[in-house]
Amino acid sequence: MIELRDIRKIFNAGKPHALTAVDGVSLIVNDRAVTVLQGPSGSGKTTLLSVVGCMSRPTEGRILLGGREITSLPERFLTEVRRTTFGFIFQQFNLVKGISALENVMLPAYPLGEHHASLKKRARALLDLFGILPRESSKAEWLSGGEAQRTAICRALINDPQIIIADEPTAHLDTKLSHEFMDIVGRLKSEQKTVIIASHDPLVYGSTVVDRVIMMRDGRIEAAGQ
Amino acid sequence: MILHPAIIALLVSSILISSLVLYALWYGVQIIRFWDLRSGSSLQLDLERRTYLISTVLAYVFGFQLISLFLLIYTADSLSSLFTGAMCAAGTFNVNVYGYLLLVLKVMNFLLAGLWLIINHADSRAYDYPLIRKKYTFLLFFAPYIVLETVLEVLYFRGLKPDVITSCCGSLFSVNASGVAGDLAGLPAVPMQYAFTIVMIATIALGSAVAATGRGGYAFSLASAAAFFLGIASLISFISPAIYELPTHHCPFCVLQKEYGYIGYLFYATLLGGAVAGMGVGVLKLFRSIPSLADILPSMGKRLAVLSVLFYAAASLLTVITVVRSNLRW
Repeated sequence: MIELRDIRKIFNAGKPHALTAVDGVSLIVNDRAVTVLQGPSGSGKTTLLSVVGCMSRPTEGRILLGGREITSLPERFLTEVRRTTFGFIFQQFNLVKGISALENVMLPAYPLGEHHASLKKRARALLDLFGILPRESSKAEWLSGGEAQRTAICRALINDPQIIIADEPTAHLDTKLSHEFMDIVGRLKSEQKTVIIASHDPLVYGSTVVDRVIMMRDGRIEAAGQ
Repeated sequence: MILHPAIIALLVSSILISSLVLYALWYGVQIIRFWDLRSGSSLQLDLERRTYLISTVLAYVFGFQLISLFLLIYTADSLSSLFTGAMCAAGTFNVNVYGYLLLVLKVMNFLLAGLWLIINHADSRAYDYPLIRKKYTFLLFFAPYIVLETVLEVLYFRGLKPDVITSCCGSLFSVNASGVAGDLAGLPAVPMQYAFTIVMIATIALGSAVAATGRGGYAFSLASAAAFFLGIASLISFISPAIYELPTHHCPFCVLQKEYGYIGYLFYATLLGGAVAGMGVGVLKLFRSIPSLADILPSMGKRLAVLSVLFYAAASLLTVITVVRSNLRW
């Protein structure tokens, strides 16, 4: 369970151009469920996701992960939490160009020091699971939109995280690929993963695999769903 | 004032160190007053972020503080040719009243900076900043000495005039001289050799016991401090005469010169290193009941004990080689 207590994120705090991106959000995200943060651009979805995923620190408030407070953790401990607990799928996929799909999937696991052969075996198994093993040697820039996205999903799963965080994952996908993505989310849910998605795509928040839709506007929660 | 590059470097670095320590202290006082890990207030989160910066800055600042002691001694030694009567750093420090005060304070600050770095390292290994208030309280009491060092350094270097006639080390560290230097030079060589041997063996044995079992940390810490002061006294009493092969020459600064292979730097570095690491064991022992440090401190204490033992073993070995190879016999 992830518990957010009065989270506030202000960029350039104390300066004339200060911007409050998240404004006093308190929320409990349940385990093994798919939660969608829905809202227009600028509503604070991405900022909240980055705070939940320990990619940025809040200006105010605390986050508890499984009962353990994580916002106060020194960076070296936070890195460990980020590496082992969260898997990230970004809007632009953020695959590293110039290296293959397989190497992209393996990248987040390198700091953990796993034996290269076993890591490669796991990465190939993931690519196979998502049907893109034939493209394992293709460089990231040669992959189609759907292939790039599935590679990004494999990369998010390589460290077997409990929580998957996806930011506008269908923004660059057509309808068919968006449905495919939600099928994958359903599969992750059936594997007892917690999935948090920020999206304003009706195909996402209207999907049957979604357990809860939280509506955000101006950095606040408008409706917290069930 | 003499515009020597090393003097300018020392003054600029000392002013920078003091400024950064005062900057750190500003936030340190806020941390001492307002730190509350249970709170999610913007002040608390701001302090959590700032402590990364402050700790990193202070780690570098105190790292340089350690090095600057040797730079000061080297500078004093290299300037000795400018003063009538001075043969080494002993005469340069004696040019005005601030010289030896500065040196003693610099050594004290070396030890304190080393201990602060050890506490800071232990604090950074735990997830909940267990020593944060303690290390900034330490800094609160330590900072005035850092600032005083800068003041003394400015006064000392401002008072360095090439036309000053100073005393040479032969008269400062002679048996007949008055004051601490004369008293140390007058210590009987043979009893001091016995005392040095006994204290070094005891310190190394206690340190080895700490490294092996983790027990006896306080005793080893006290022994380390004793070994340091006895090591300095021994350097003046019998090690220096053995190096010079001259029973009346007790100067602890001529050993820093090229003629003696700069061996003095090795003596000072090993004694200071042994003292900081050894005393650090006792300091860490004070915090062993803190839950988040319970798994970290034992191994850290053992590593420090090993380091201290290695330093003191090196100092002892250097002493034995020096005394055995010397043609001077007591």
